Amino acid sequence: MPSLPEFELHRPETLDEAVGLLSPDDLPFMGGTELLLAMRQRLLRPRSLVDLKGIVELGTTNVSETEVSFGSAVTHRRLVADAAVGAALPILTQVLNNVGNRRVQTSGTPVGNLCFAEPKSDVIPLLIALGASVDLRGADGGRTAAVEDFVVGPYATTKLPDELVVSVRIPLVAGRSEVYLKLQTMERPTVGVAAVRWGGVDRVVVGASGIVPVVAEAPSGRIDPVAVAGQIEPLDDLTGSAQYKRMVTGVFVRRALAQLEDSE
Amino acid sequence: MSHPVKIDVTINGQRVERTLEPRTTLAEFLRNDLGMFGTKISCEMQVCGVCTVLIDGAPVSSCTTLAADADGREVRTIEGLAQSGELHPLQQAFIDEFALQCGYCTPGFIMMAVALLEENPAPTRDEVVHHLEGNICRCTGYRPIIDAVLKAAERGPN
Repeated sequence: MPSLPEFELHRPETLDEAVGLLSPDDLPFMGGTELLLAMRQRLLRPRSLVDLKGIVELGTTNVSETEVSFGSAVTHRRLVADAAVGAALPILTQVLNNVGNRRVQTSGTPVGNLCFAEPKSDVIPLLIALGASVDLRGADGGRTAAVEDFVVGPYATTKLPDELVVSVRIPLVAGRSEVYLKLQTMERPTVGVAAVRWGGVDRVVVGASGIVPVVAEAPSGRIDPVAVAGQIEPLDDLTGSAQYKRMVTGVFVRRALAQLEDSE
Repeated sequence: MSHPVKIDVTINGQRVERTLEPRTTLAEFLRNDLGMFGTKISCEMQVCGVCTVLIDGAPVSSCTTLAADADGREVRTIEGLAQSGELHPLQQAFIDEFALQCGYCTPGFIMMAVALLEENPAPTRDEVVHHLEGNICRCTGYRPIIDAVLKAAERGPN
């Protein structure tokens, strides 16, 4: 008995062809590390999957003086193994090398993670902290959105059903201190904290412990970890009770800020 | 009924061509179509690792990978490790270190370890632990498994 519901599989070779196939019932497909799981649970019943793996331009990574960018078909593992990415943005390598497990890293993609807006994502808080943006392509043309605005809730983004995220762009900022800390005892983090310091400003983004990422920004040394922990919207689940999550969020924000202090 | 997809895949060195429903997972293809039961199925959520096989040398969860995604690529499973009746060094090391009891998780652990040692022939203990984090054993315990991988690395390739 097949474990997945029936669907058609499209394997387009161009971006235009792929975008032309998308609809609320025809979903973009890459590694399937979230989509196929949701389909097995019958949470999603798409008519077809539009496989992006054959589209060459979605599989590229670029590192310039000013930014790191990668397409939506680039897997976690490809980025971890990319020495140029590691040299330009070691925090990205560190975080992706600890996403899910090694098999998830082989098949899954940061863009897929972002488009699912998984509340326990490591990728989303990091991208928000780094000021990343996404380039989208739809039937009516393209647009760019800051990741901070793109993710609007648990499993919710501003992406329209006929739009495709083409790439992610992360600006490189000389002299910026970057930290990511997480508490994880099982397959998903209890809390993940991304923190950056640049130009006299600290920016902290908390993921996983609340249902949506929380962003706090203040002059360096002025963020109050307990106040940030007070802003999250935690739920009781297998990664901890709401009360516990609030407590460890305060602890991990404090530790992340201390690491920023030490890195100066 | 959805349109079938044609796949042309090399499995443990043997070329296999089939026409399948798109929804066929790689694990279902291996077990149900080819009768290769060495690859196990358990959590079906990419968490436990018992279904691990290698595609072009990289480990994937075959329970949640479409067989169609193996099209044109090279798949390796636990059945392909022993050569001419000689166990693979990792298989021998798992026996020598008592790294299995019920054995259900063993093919997954060994395939994960094959991927590690081919990429990094002399891993540290921490590197082995990190690499195997996504595999679950519920009876033997992890220490003998990690010892077995380190032992195989020490002995070198066959």
